[in-house]
Amino acid sequence: MIGAIDILLPRPLPDAWLSGLLFISFTLHLLFALLALGTAFLAVCCYIQVRCMGHLEDDRLDRRIVKSFLGLKSLAVVLGVAPLLLIQVSRTVPMFSAINLLALAWLFLIVLLVVAFVFFDMMGHATQHYRRFHLAFGIVAMAALLAIPGIFAALMITAENPLAWSEMISRGYRLSGPLAIHWLARYLHLIGAAIVLGAIFHYFFSASQERERNHLMNWIIVGMLLQVVFGVFLFGSLPVRPELLANILIMAAVVLAMVLIWQTFITIRQSKPLAFRSSIALALGLLVVMLMVRQVIQDRAMLPVDNAARANAIVYQKKLAPYELAALADYRKSAANGKQHGESIYAGSCTFCHGELADGNGGEVANLSIPPEKIAELRTTREYLYSLLVKGMPGSGMPYFSVFDRNKLDRLIDSLDQRYQVLQKPGNLPVGVNSAALAQAGAVYRETCSGCHGSDGRGSSQSTAFKPPPPDFTRFSMTPRRTFEVITEGYRGTMMSSYATLPEEVRWGLVDHLQKLRTE
Amino acid sequence: MQYPAFVIPWLGNGMLIALDAVLHVMISHGFAIGAISMIVLAESIGMRQENIDWDIFARRFLTALIIIVTGIGAPTGVGIWLITSAVTPKGIGSLLRVFFWPWFIEWLVFTIEVILLLLYYFTWERWRRERKRLHLKIGIAYLACALASAVLITGILGFMITPDSWPVRRDFIGAYFNATFLPQLSVRLGIAITLGALFATTFAAFSHTADGIRLAALRLYGRIALVGFCWTTASSIWYMAMIPSSYTAHIPFALLTSHFSDRPSILGNVMAAIATTIILYVLAASRGPLIVVRILSVPTIVMALFYVVAFERAREFIRGPYLMPGYLYANQLLLSESHLSRKEGLSNSTPWYQTLAVGDPEARGAFLFAQNCTACHTLRGVNGIVQRVKGRPEDGIVVMLGHLNEMVPFMPPFSGNDEERHILARYLADLPIKGDDPSRYSPYWRKSP
Repeated sequence: MIGAIDILLPRPLPDAWLSGLLFISFTLHLLFALLALGTAFLAVCCYIQVRCMGHLEDDRLDRRIVKSFLGLKSLAVVLGVAPLLLIQVSRTVPMFSAINLLALAWLFLIVLLVVAFVFFDMMGHATQHYRRFHLAFGIVAMAALLAIPGIFAALMITAENPLAWSEMISRGYRLSGPLAIHWLARYLHLIGAAIVLGAIFHYFFSASQERERNHLMNWIIVGMLLQVVFGVFLFGSLPVRPELLANILIMAAVVLAMVLIWQTFITIRQSKPLAFRSSIALALGLLVVMLMVRQVIQDRAMLPVDNAARANAIVYQKKLAPYELAALADYRKSAANGKQHGESIYAGSCTFCHGELADGNGGEVANLSIPPEKIAELRTTREYLYSLLVKGMPGSGMPYFSVFDRNKLDRLIDSLDQRYQVLQKPGNLPVGVNSAALAQAGAVYRETCSGCHGSDGRGSSQSTAFKPPPPDFTRFSMTPRRTFEVITEGYRGTMMSSYATLPEEVRWGLVDHLQKLRTE
Repeated sequence: MQYPAFVIPWLGNGMLIALDAVLHVMISHGFAIGAISMIVLAESIGMRQENIDWDIFARRFLTALIIIVTGIGAPTGVGIWLITSAVTPKGIGSLLRVFFWPWFIEWLVFTIEVILLLLYYFTWERWRRERKRLHLKIGIAYLACALASAVLITGILGFMITPDSWPVRRDFIGAYFNATFLPQLSVRLGIAITLGALFATTFAAFSHTADGIRLAALRLYGRIALVGFCWTTASSIWYMAMIPSSYTAHIPFALLTSHFSDRPSILGNVMAAIATTIILYVLAASRGPLIVVRILSVPTIVMALFYVVAFERAREFIRGPYLMPGYLYANQLLLSESHLSRKEGLSNSTPWYQTLAVGDPEARGAFLFAQNCTACHTLRGVNGIVQRVKGRPEDGIVVMLGHLNEMVPFMPPFSGNDEERHILARYLADLPIKGDDPSRYSPYWRKSP
């Protein structure tokens, strides 16, 4: 991807060291991964032949093969950690991009690993009973295990072909066209290698009788012949023509493979057992040379992207440099912010709307269609104020603050009460109101206000759906002056409109009426 | 952002890591360190008392464990890495650059550990009599390696809350040998011993253990569980004391979540219930009838695991806005990058967005949501944003986005310019009314360029 940026922190080792360690650890991992895969394959095949078809009579070859799986798979997993670490450090952008593109399959690896391992252990446990169950366990484990190299092959092909990334996204995050064919070839070649290596391993370490050795010899031959076919297929499907070094290594691999095949056929004709040292050495040599081919091709594909990403990182780092100090200041500020006290909660979470003086005049007032409440003027109960804080005010900018637990919100309420007496009763009216105005106010409330606020002040049935809904006057009031102000001016952005046309005395009468509705 | 956001629908990225990690911690602490310590102990008792029953008990317990440890424990451990590589590539990539050596050495130790465990398991029957002592030594060597790998990882976990001098000096020593390294290690050891002893007690209560040693085993492991639990509690207090109050202030919410945050007394009650259950279990194990031990075993183990979950949850939650304190936010944006994005915009500096989705207004809101929010929030699932913005008008959301970190200290600030803040606010305000369109989880989810 053009413009991709490498991670801005330095790499821990020079590139050559990282590549060398990667090669060594990956070779070890692949050796055990292929052995585990081959073992699983042979175990299931052997199980079918021994237990279900009655071949090899009462041999215990399948059990011996299954038994080695525990160790091989454990080593394969643990050895796989280092290559993953090294490639993510040294080929960061291609690797993470590929993981990202194939993320679902990549995450599914965890499930596949657990299923394969646990089911295989179940198959190996007490094999003589419940044949069908054990076979079913083995087949499920086998299917899960066979999928794993498929995902890794797809991952590496993706990482090696950055030009195909956009195309992959448009096709629903999968390989297509020549790359899909290349994937198939690579996958089959891995499976073939697993069969050959697994069969050679068990030929020497699990088979104890001639008949068992012959059985495994068949697999060695089948595997080798398959590898010849798959190898030609793989070579033909390479998306880029391999360079000279890769070609030389491929020739070396072909020569080694020919020698191994030739040696095997010779021993069969002479009906002798396979020579231990030379067979193991040839097989391992072949594995190492094949991995070198892979490394050369992979480096050539990934290096340009990686280098571009590094160059971009240098540019980006320069662009970020002017902001480093501000970033550190942010961090220091947040580390110093205890958020334990009512005051500090108010300062962080409330001031920008309600203002430092709780007068509804914070910096964001101009951006809000419903003005923030003047908290200093509230006269309510602890429970009511708490419910406002944890539920917020739907339809207004007031969010809910259940991110603070009750103890913290109680401290906030305490500090508001200390500063502004918000938990006090609203107090006496600053002006006197005569009884005629009071009576008129009562009538106005019944005829006009109660439509929304309800005759008892709790809100009417239709007004509870308003956003924001009217407050509950039995538990909520404000200072008389503020109540008078809201009656006179209305509350912008809500259903509460201005009643400035009512005579002033009546409006004060309404304030008095509302205060009398308070029951708590 | 260098990679298109990959978001796990409904469950959310954080929850997937949490589920895998908790399973791994239970097995790695409880089985791989704790229970195998109890096995080695049983083997050594059997050897000293020349009592084969202890040996049989230990061997049976190991057979049950090894499948879980290698079959589930190891893949879920690698799984943490697999998941973080997919959902937080920049986060894990940056951590790998800083902590390459601890991780590399941990790999070596881990490899030796696995080899020793296999050796310990496979040589049990073969190495008897004069080689028994060697077999026991293999077990002890395995435990030493398991412990070493726990030590190696804890330094990195500690860094994520207390980075000491690293944000300023970017020095490895400061980052790795940080203030919570030792206390956290102590908590983890306590957890390992407690869980291991509880598992061993339960195994002794349920398995076909010879009656002669069953009582002794119950009494021994019960006592160890009690010691382990006291140790864990003391270490947890030590650990909490080493974390700045700006982080510990969020522990109640981390554990209560918004569902229970109005009843903080639950916390103390649950902790008391855990302690009571474990003490009752230990009492039953040391003098009660077997049936009581069996009945109590399930709730006790559930309670102990619950404590582990709570510890990990609190630890991961309170590091709050940061993935790497002072450097990288939880949503994988650098602190400095967040500043830059306020000037230049977030989408302008994102190659993936520039190549694939530029000019698509629908995609832009989703893109900003994916980059800013999906590290913690899903749309309608766990910690769903739809539920959180319901009833909020667009102007209110615009204002909130401008003050996220001040308002809710464990949230990172919004990254992006003013125009983008309004686009995200519109996207969020529209979410509760619009249908659930999976393409919105990420702008690149099944979307053609």
